[in-house]
Amino acid sequence: MSEQLARALAAMLHRSASLLPARRRHWAEAVAAEAAQMSAGLPRLRWLAGGLWLVAREASMARRIGYGLGVAAVAAAAVWTMWLSWRTNSAADPENVTDRARVLAGAAALIVLPWVGRRRGWFGPPGSSITMRLLRVAGCAAICALGVSIVRNDRHAGINGVLGYGKFSWLHELAGLAFLALALAGPALMKARWQQLDEPARWSIGVVAGVTAFFLLPIQLLAACSAALVLAGTSRRSPARPATLTVGASIGVATGLIMWWLATILGELGGAWFLLMPMAALLAGFPAGLASGWLLSGDEDPQRLRAARIRQGQLGGAAAGAVCGLVLTAIFIGIGVMLLIGPLAGMAGGACGGAISADHRRWFRPGRSQAAEAASGSVT
Amino acid sequence: MPPRTTFSPQTLAILAALADRPSEARHGYDLARQTGLKSGTLYPILVRLADRGLVEARWEEDQPQGRPRRHLYRLTTDGLAAAAAARAAAPAPAVATARRRVATPRRLAGERS
Repeated sequence: MSEQLARALAAMLHRSASLLPARRRHWAEAVAAEAAQMSAGLPRLRWLAGGLWLVAREASMARRIGYGLGVAAVAAAAVWTMWLSWRTNSAADPENVTDRARVLAGAAALIVLPWVGRRRGWFGPPGSSITMRLLRVAGCAAICALGVSIVRNDRHAGINGVLGYGKFSWLHELAGLAFLALALAGPALMKARWQQLDEPARWSIGVVAGVTAFFLLPIQLLAACSAALVLAGTSRRSPARPATLTVGASIGVATGLIMWWLATILGELGGAWFLLMPMAALLAGFPAGLASGWLLSGDEDPQRLRAARIRQGQLGGAAAGAVCGLVLTAIFIGIGVMLLIGPLAGMAGGACGGAISADHRRWFRPGRSQAAEAASGSVT
Repeated sequence: MPPRTTFSPQTLAILAALADRPSEARHGYDLARQTGLKSGTLYPILVRLADRGLVEARWEEDQPQGRPRRHLYRLTTDGLAAAAAARAAAPAPAVATARRRVATPRRLAGERS
């Protein structure tokens, strides 16, 4: 029995070696070649299982499977959103058509998300730490969930036009999408096409297009910006440390849930929520900035360390505010503006927290932990 | 650039085993027997060491009778320097662990003599 199993494992090892890049396949063959030295039974099975583990590690199987699952989840979210949207009321209603057109555009955007996230540049590839990858997946999943939540709300409430306002107009939709695309991709495309165009001019065009798109398709622009923020924040180029993003995201989620709990207790407060929610993002930013700044240590010049801590504080606060805004938007549909106000208010709170922790003495202790070394490296 | 001196105890054990007989090319089973490491730990470390240019890996040149050709490993010049530097720089417990592993090899269950 064990011999049969060993033969099966050896065959699996030979076959799975093809998953490795050509220059690494000999490592799997090396393990298989040594298996004959082990006595039959458990020792040989263990040896061959170790070889399969080697292949799984070297072929980045966990990453491949995770990426495949992520793409499948995004595709499923896109299909589900479209299905929910199509189940709404009569297609004769112009506002239903508006929703459907917008859902289709949103689904198309979701499908290009994994592609954008893998390209080398501002948005990709993802940071090398597992934290950055998890945060990226969680952030994209949250934005997908927000899209589904909006469409579900639209369906259950029987209110059309939640995704937008006014009467349906193809001209309006197409112009909004064109300005949105120009705002997102314009500066990079102009840089590639017209190299003589200086940077301020390129960015000015992008900003003007973005402001125009905001007036035409506000929620779509904010959702696209949130996705861009998630990708940029977790990319290899990101100035934010994994600890900063983890602290910010955790505090943001907690604050959003506290606000939801308060809403269930306090009930209808009307316009007061529009004041309380930005306040919540600001307050969430403060402890996030405090913790993010404090977690950064180093043996560098104190002035540089102080500046780096304030910067991490701002980033941690922005992350907390952005996540808080996302949670609040998902819970209280209709206040999509929190996607914009959240990160800004959080950053302001984070700057205050970071400034306080920057003056707190916490010296680098060499060899204490790898995290301390990494922190020291990020200051330089 | 000075050679890297911080390694895990398992890597230290492999470096120590290879540095014991630097001129001799060792095979994976031999290293596993001497260090007590399992194949799932041993080979990923050998891959990393080879990637860094610390270990040279090659196949046996002649086809032996009755068994497949073996993959052989030997420290490069950089590997020897890194092993010496790592031994000198490693904290006492890590060196002790690595030496104990090398000095008193754990017998792999069911190994052939």
